[in-house]
Amino acid sequence: MARIQEQGYSHWEGRLVERQRPWWPLLTMGVRLTFRKKNFRLLFAMSFIPAVVYLVGVYASERVEDFKFMVRGSSQLINIGPSFFKSYFTLDPLLFLMVMLMVFAGAGLIADDLKHNALQLYFARPLRKKDYLAGKAAVIAFFVLLLTLVPGLLLFIFKLIFAASFDLLRSYPWLPLSIVADALLLTVFFVSYTLLLSSLSRNRRYVMVMIFTVYLVTDIAFGILSGIFKSPYFALLSIKANLQQTGAVLFGQRPPHAFPAVLSFVVLLAFCLVAFGVLQRRVRGVEVVK
Amino acid sequence: MSIEVRDVHFSYGRIKALDGVTLSLGEGAVGLLGPNGAGKSTLLRILLGFLPAARGEGKVFGYDIRREQNLIRRSVGYMPEDDCFVAGLDAVSFTSYFGELSGMPHQEAMKRAHDVLFYVGLGESRYRLLDTYSAGMKQRLKLAQALVHDPKLLFLDEPTTNLDPRGRLEILDLIKDIATDKGIQVLVSSHILPDIESVCDSVVILNKGRVAAQGRMADLRAADYSLYEVRIKGAGDGFRDRLVACGCRVDETEDRLLKVYLPAGRDPMEVFRAAAETDVQVRHFVRSQTSLEDVFARTVGVD
Repeated sequence: MARIQEQGYSHWEGRLVERQRPWWPLLTMGVRLTFRKKNFRLLFAMSFIPAVVYLVGVYASERVEDFKFMVRGSSQLINIGPSFFKSYFTLDPLLFLMVMLMVFAGAGLIADDLKHNALQLYFARPLRKKDYLAGKAAVIAFFVLLLTLVPGLLLFIFKLIFAASFDLLRSYPWLPLSIVADALLLTVFFVSYTLLLSSLSRNRRYVMVMIFTVYLVTDIAFGILSGIFKSPYFALLSIKANLQQTGAVLFGQRPPHAFPAVLSFVVLLAFCLVAFGVLQRRVRGVEVVK
Repeated sequence: MSIEVRDVHFSYGRIKALDGVTLSLGEGAVGLLGPNGAGKSTLLRILLGFLPAARGEGKVFGYDIRREQNLIRRSVGYMPEDDCFVAGLDAVSFTSYFGELSGMPHQEAMKRAHDVLFYVGLGESRYRLLDTYSAGMKQRLKLAQALVHDPKLLFLDEPTTNLDPRGRLEILDLIKDIATDKGIQVLVSSHILPDIESVCDSVVILNKGRVAAQGRMADLRAADYSLYEVRIKGAGDGFRDRLVACGCRVDETEDRLLKVYLPAGRDPMEVFRAAAETDVQVRHFVRSQTSLEDVFARTVGVD
């Protein structure tokens, strides 16, 4: 070990700034740490496969004659409209890939800080609880938006470019807003879901299992119960079904399950509020044992 | 005064951690001394705004501890008692990260991180992952992150915990250097008397959530009593009662050494007179140098 004071201490001449966005360093550090994981990088690259397939669909929609042999019976892929975008945003594999990204990118966000007592270091800085949570949420939002908002808007723009006309925009002027709204809904949900589970344990591995299992189990429970009782309302138990129900409404499409979609919005909102309440209790500078 | 606290109360459920603490702390290194559970860490956490005081008020550099916590945290560096770090980082990234969170620009924080890591003795291992650091290295790292934004005041909570004797001396040397040569005020919370004695100019002794004694080390040592170490042969109860009746305080250590605190102006011969009256033999009688341990023993009591 180096001898102490081999280089002297000198005072810093600069001036500490009051950041407009105190959570910014948390976002950049969180993203950097996530990309250091090899498994994550592979998964992250794979999660763009649906977007690439849909981009091919957008291209094919303008070259129907050339691709007729490929898109036979797959009219959804070449009729570019709200249903096309709805199908991208509510695609089973996309939602599953997002859950897997949360497993690798989000599980340790709070759990690691709890395990290594890092919260007291954060809160000894000019950082409020809401700044800390905003920083952690921003890491998740970064990845979810990269998989939803960015491809959604790019698909829309590419359709305009390939078609060389604004027909799509003229026919559905609200479509970009729907893309933004559903991307935000997915972001808010996945932020709440991941941070909630990450704050419940000090062990990142448990959290990884929880993120994966809760998503899967709610969907299996929906399948079993709706099979037994023949009621569509059991879809309210499923995270995936609720996201698909709300996604359909936001794109002006018929919801996949036969019950008022407002119930799915209420379920998701209630989940987010509970998550926020739990985070308020779990995230604090010192653990007070009474 | 850098820290002023008036009538601060705090409880963990039914347990009173702080019971009307009033303090004024000025320049230099100040020791916050007390047995485990005396309320030292709680006081530091209240000053940083981690815990809200149930009653009372306080200021750090003139900033209110309830309303202006962010301004306080800009001027204060905190080295917690527990092991704490961010997994997956090396020391440079870790230290610069907390510099940035304090409000330093990224480049400056990075440059400064290198400087403070060299200063605390982690220069050679600054690119190693923190997960591989030893207990002593983590202790130095905590000091580095507390110093990175060049605070005016350092809160050090049990800074020598988990250290071997050599590591302990090195950390104490650093703290002494910071407090004396670098012009940074230091508040050291510890229950280890020699640590406080070797580093601090003044001390606050907390006991059961109250301030038991407070002042400059030299003033506390030059108390209005003389200390004698006495060993006797025979039943000591009567002898002790006789001395207490004379206005002395008598404490007995584990190895049956009596520490007799004789009030100023009293004749030491009174000890011998008391021995003669109660039929005990005095086998050992030495005037003792008053140490912080004695001050602590007098205010908190000896086990």
